[in-house]
Amino acid sequence: MSKHVHEIRDPIHVFVRLDDDERRVLDSRPFQRLRHVHQLALCYLLYPAATHKRFEHSLGVMELAGRVFDIVTHPANVTDDIRRLLPELAQDDKLRYWRRVLRMAALCHDTGHLPFSHAAEEALLPEGWDHERLSRALIEGPEMRAIWDALTPPLRVTDVVKLAIGPGKAKDLTFTTWEAVLTEIIIGDAFGVDRMDYLLRDSYHTGVAYGKFDHFRLIDTLRILPTVASAEGGAAAEPALGVADGGLHSAEALLLARYFMYTQVYFHPIRRIYDIHLRDFLSAWLPGGKFSTDIAAHLGLTDNQITVGILDAAADPGKPGHDPARRIASHHHFKVLYQRHPEDMKRNPNAGQAIYEAARDRFGEANVRHDRYSERRGATVFPVLGKDDRIGSSGVLSEVLQHLPAIAVDNVYVVPEQSTKAADWLAANRAGLIQTPAEVP
Amino acid sequence: MNRLQQAAFLTELADHLLSNGSWCGETHVQKATYFLQTLLDVPLGFDFILYKHGPYSFELSDELTALRADYLLELRVKFPSYGPSLVPTETSAGLRQRHPITVGKYARDIEFVARAFGEKGVTQLERLSTALFVSHQLGLTASAEDRARRLNELKPHVTLEQAREAVGEVDRLAREARALKSE
Repeated sequence: MSKHVHEIRDPIHVFVRLDDDERRVLDSRPFQRLRHVHQLALCYLLYPAATHKRFEHSLGVMELAGRVFDIVTHPANVTDDIRRLLPELAQDDKLRYWRRVLRMAALCHDTGHLPFSHAAEEALLPEGWDHERLSRALIEGPEMRAIWDALTPPLRVTDVVKLAIGPGKAKDLTFTTWEAVLTEIIIGDAFGVDRMDYLLRDSYHTGVAYGKFDHFRLIDTLRILPTVASAEGGAAAEPALGVADGGLHSAEALLLARYFMYTQVYFHPIRRIYDIHLRDFLSAWLPGGKFSTDIAAHLGLTDNQITVGILDAAADPGKPGHDPARRIASHHHFKVLYQRHPEDMKRNPNAGQAIYEAARDRFGEANVRHDRYSERRGATVFPVLGKDDRIGSSGVLSEVLQHLPAIAVDNVYVVPEQSTKAADWLAANRAGLIQTPAEVP
Repeated sequence: MNRLQQAAFLTELADHLLSNGSWCGETHVQKATYFLQTLLDVPLGFDFILYKHGPYSFELSDELTALRADYLLELRVKFPSYGPSLVPTETSAGLRQRHPITVGKYARDIEFVARAFGEKGVTQLERLSTALFVSHQLGLTASAEDRARRLNELKPHVTLEQAREAVGEVDRLAREARALKSE
């Protein structure tokens, strides 16, 4: 029976197309819930149009995953070496199966996100839990399992899990080389379509142009390539996602876009302090101060209930979480006292922590906050297929990528009422505070 | 180890890998760290799974990025035919000077692994580290042939003959590591 194709308009990809089976996933409760989870948490308090949700992002990831799959598996784009290493590439039925798994996994990869996405995930989930584990529980749950089982052929739930959350979060599962390459299409460090879509979409909605790059060109040049440099020529090695020579500049543009979006948007100090105020509110407002990992509870909780809770608590000093709630509701956030500085880091890589501890002792724990975070897996090394068919490393061929800095934040904030006093205190004491103590037995 | 002790350890490892002739890309640091944790019981606490070129830790990958962000490691092209190297900075030398206990305690372990791995390429490291991974997975009592077959099964691009050689080399390294620990 032919599949009806549904078209959904999208500001980034113009149309996202999906078939009846994918539409069943879209209509499921775990997926529909994403209509009510902001992609960028409270970022709309700084960038008012950044009110987009995980729902449209997940559709975009599916759309791009399908496009990348079609490019990298096209016979004209596959070398004999890769065909030998990945026999799946020569089997049409397997390719059809895995394309379907990939798009379904792309749809489901964010279903486990908590309200306001990443803002409070690390602090407010029980030990051992993260949004990927919740996504996995949903993909394996009865509602989604019924969809996988009803397909022809049925999808193995483990396959969907593997591609949706990847080996870093599914440590109990063993990935074949083929599966490892497919996970790179969704969540890969360099060209994962999750990253492509969020950069383009977040850039569009924040109005920050830095996130744009030529994703059409980049996708057209993606290839599955051997990872070993030419100097080890002849040695068999695992394949990975890379680019043909003509795509290197588009890949550089993506990674530069990521750098600028991190520095301008994701790590903006005011955005970060709103995340901290949200976390403070939630730890007072949620029962037991933590998010539940019960699936029914997860499906029933979105940004909507929490926004109502914030407004409610902000208006009533007797409600739990009143202080952080009013800071969010009335834009009365803590002020930046200290931001990391290369000279300080060279003296003490934990400079922010040292200043935070001293400020906390001086101004009181309730009045000071510390935020330290480094970008994860900032890898910019991937194989590049040269015009002479040699494999090179992007880290050698691209001077831009060689010099792309790793990004981190190390901010200390103080309550607005004390900000002037605290700034004077820091100016007078900074040098002494960031001394690194020598190791003692 | 706390974070600064771990940073001192990892930058010291990179330093020794480079001085033993290693290209010292991320794969080299990953595999060397796996051997240090698994064979020499260095308590770094990274969680390794079988992934890119054998055992791989996403947490270690994140930590190496963080060390770059903290000006303790930098990417530099030292071997133009390969990929970029992870090179310790002057700032990291200062950090290591302030952590003489950690650096001193593991100096022999680091040098042992750096000498064993210094001149090996990515494909050799993949075979060796996967052989060690398999040896731990199947248990040390499993025969060399069973371990080689398992390696070949997990990494089909590694031939059975290459797998046998890798298992033999891992057994030799394990004996030397035991002798080092008992000194």
